[in-house]
Amino acid sequence: MSHEKTTLEIIAPTVEEAVAKGLNQLGLREEEVEVEVLDAGSRGFLGLGSRQARIRLWIKEKESVQTAPLENEKKRPAKIERKPALSTNPTQPTEGTLDRDEKFVLATAEQITGELLQKMHLKARLKASMLPPQDENDQPTVMVEVQGEDLSILIGRRSETLNALQYITSLILSKEVGHWVPLIIDVQGYRARRERQLRVLARRSAEQVVHTGRKITLEPMPANERRVIHLELRDHPEVTTESVGEEPNRKVTIFLKKHHS
Amino acid sequence: MKELIEYIAASLVDDPTQVRVRQEWVGGKARLELWVAKEDMGRIIGKSGRVANAMRVLLRVAAAREGKQATLDVMEPR
Repeated sequence: MSHEKTTLEIIAPTVEEAVAKGLNQLGLREEEVEVEVLDAGSRGFLGLGSRQARIRLWIKEKESVQTAPLENEKKRPAKIERKPALSTNPTQPTEGTLDRDEKFVLATAEQITGELLQKMHLKARLKASMLPPQDENDQPTVMVEVQGEDLSILIGRRSETLNALQYITSLILSKEVGHWVPLIIDVQGYRARRERQLRVLARRSAEQVVHTGRKITLEPMPANERRVIHLELRDHPEVTTESVGEEPNRKVTIFLKKHHS
Repeated sequence: MKELIEYIAASLVDDPTQVRVRQEWVGGKARLELWVAKEDMGRIIGKSGRVANAMRVLLRVAAAREGKQATLDVMEPR
C-alpha cells in the first residue's frame, strides 16, 4: 500500500457543497476525511464577482475505506490524488472499471512516452491513468505521470520541452489507437504546481490592475497556461483578459473592464 | 539522436518504409536530415511547423544529454 496521502480537490459554489460533492465522489463519510479549505470562495455582489469555493479532502485511513472503486483498483496504484494539470474543474483518476480499449490506450501511452524518454537518454518511472471527463461534452483524458531525478531538463523553459513531449506523444498515441485521445504528461506534479502559481499570479495581477487602473501584460506563456489565467479571471467583476502577440511570445494582458454608464 | 527522430517520424507517417534520417557533423554540431514520403510531409511538419518544431525541442534535449548540439532539417522528398 502506498503511504502517500490520498487527496481530492473539489470546486463548488460553496464549501458545504464542495464537501458533499467530494464525499459523494469518494463514496466516503465526513468522518473519514479531513477538509482543507483552499479558497472559501465569495458570493460576490449582485451575482458579480462570485468565486467558487475550492477544498481539498484528505482521506484519513485508506485501509478503512471500503468502497467498490478501491476494490477494483487493486491492479492500479491505489492513489486518488488529484492531478489537475491545467484544468479548473475537479477531476480524479477513474475508479476501477477501465474497459479494454482504455487499458490498451494507457499501456500504449506509457510505452510511447517510455520509448521517447529512453531515446532522449532520460531515466524515469511512468504511470498512466485515466482522468474522467470534465463535463458532458468532454472525453476521458490520459494522464502520464513521470517520476525520477533531475527531470527539470524535461520541463524546459516555459515548459517547452514538456509540451513538446506531450504533443508528440499524443500524436503517436492517436495514430496507434486510431482515434484522437486527449493526453497530459506531468513531471513530478509540475503541472498542478504551476497551475496553482498561475492562479495566484492571475488574482494578484488583477488586484494590481484594479488598484492602479493600468493594464498588466504577463510573461509569454504557452496556450494551456494562458487558459488558466483566462479561466481564473473569467468571472472577475472589474477586469478582463486578452491574449496578444504571436506564438511563442503570446502573452496575456489584464485590463479594466469598460463600465457601461 | 538519430534513433529519436527515426522513432518519432516512423510512428507518425503512413509509410514508415520511406523514413530516412542522415546524421552528419558540421563544426562539432550534429545536423540531422529527415526524409519521408511526399504524402507524409504534412504529418511531419504539421500546421505552422508545429510537429517539426516539437521534434527539434526533443532532439535538443537528447543532444544535450550527450553534451552536444543538434539541428533537424526536414528535406524535400526526392
